[in-house]
Amino acid sequence: MADEEDETGFDEELDDGSGGVECGHGKRKRLFSKELRCMMYGFGDDQNPYTESVDILEDLVIEFVTEMTHKAMSIGRQGRVQVEDIVFLIRKDPRKFARVKDLLTMNEELKRARKAFDEANYGS
Amino acid sequence: MADPARIKPETSYENKDSPSQDQSNQEVKSETAAGEDEEEGTSGEPSSKRLKVEPEKKKEKRQKVDEDEIQKMQVLVSSFSEEQLNRYEMYRRSAFPKAAIKRLIQSITGSSVSQNVVIAMSGISKVFAGEIVEEALDVCEKWGDTPPLQPKHMREAVRRLKTRDQIPNTKFKKITFH
Repeated sequence: MADEEDETGFDEELDDGSGGVECGHGKRKRLFSKELRCMMYGFGDDQNPYTESVDILEDLVIEFVTEMTHKAMSIGRQGRVQVEDIVFLIRKDPRKFARVKDLLTMNEELKRARKAFDEANYGS
Repeated sequence: MADPARIKPETSYENKDSPSQDQSNQEVKSETAAGEDEEEGTSGEPSSKRLKVEPEKKKEKRQKVDEDEIQKMQVLVSSFSEEQLNRYEMYRRSAFPKAAIKRLIQSITGSSVSQNVVIAMSGISKVFAGEIVEEALDVCEKWGDTPPLQPKHMREAVRRLKTRDQIPNTKFKKITFH
């Protein structure tokens, strides 16, 4: 299983391009380890993914969120992140765009449903 | 390993003019689907465009297509093996913790962000993670290896996605012409 020559010294060898940034990130506590494992299994990986792969993915996700946040801060209302900015940034990527639209729509519906439910309870 | 939800967005989930009409219906549908964050549905058009010009026939057709899609999904899921069911459940239920994402965004902006932003960001981060894992699985298969994915697959996947501009990178400037 762990016979690949790539595994040895992996911890030192970091991603190309963003190598410098990841050196610092490596020391930080892992934020999403548990959730990412479940997610990787859901997306097609083994039931027990390698820890190193999970770490790489976590760093990538954090970098993605960071980039999106920075971009969102620079457009629209400066210094703030708003949903419209995110939607604008995502507009070219059909999958992500559809997903955001769905999530926000669902959220609205759920909020409305909960409100109606609470009012019904309150009335009776 | 294609995931069943990776279908072309050709139908819209909110297909009624007044959502409150069908609210209870859709409510039941969405809450029986596993997970609080992972609701089923595909939408490929902005809602404003849809509400503005909507001939009755088109709406009905889209409703029907949507119902067809839901039925097809039900048939598909009912024929899953146990391992597939497990995996599908993980696929739907897994999500990034909202608190951690919120903390991350706020540590970058320095100011608070609304709940919708956190929801949107968690959603697209999950899609992003999915794209990487799927690409890595393609690489793994192409190289004749087997899962679990190894770091070299992940890195090759990132390299490929970068050439397709699917990974945002504002750190290094592109030089178009030398």
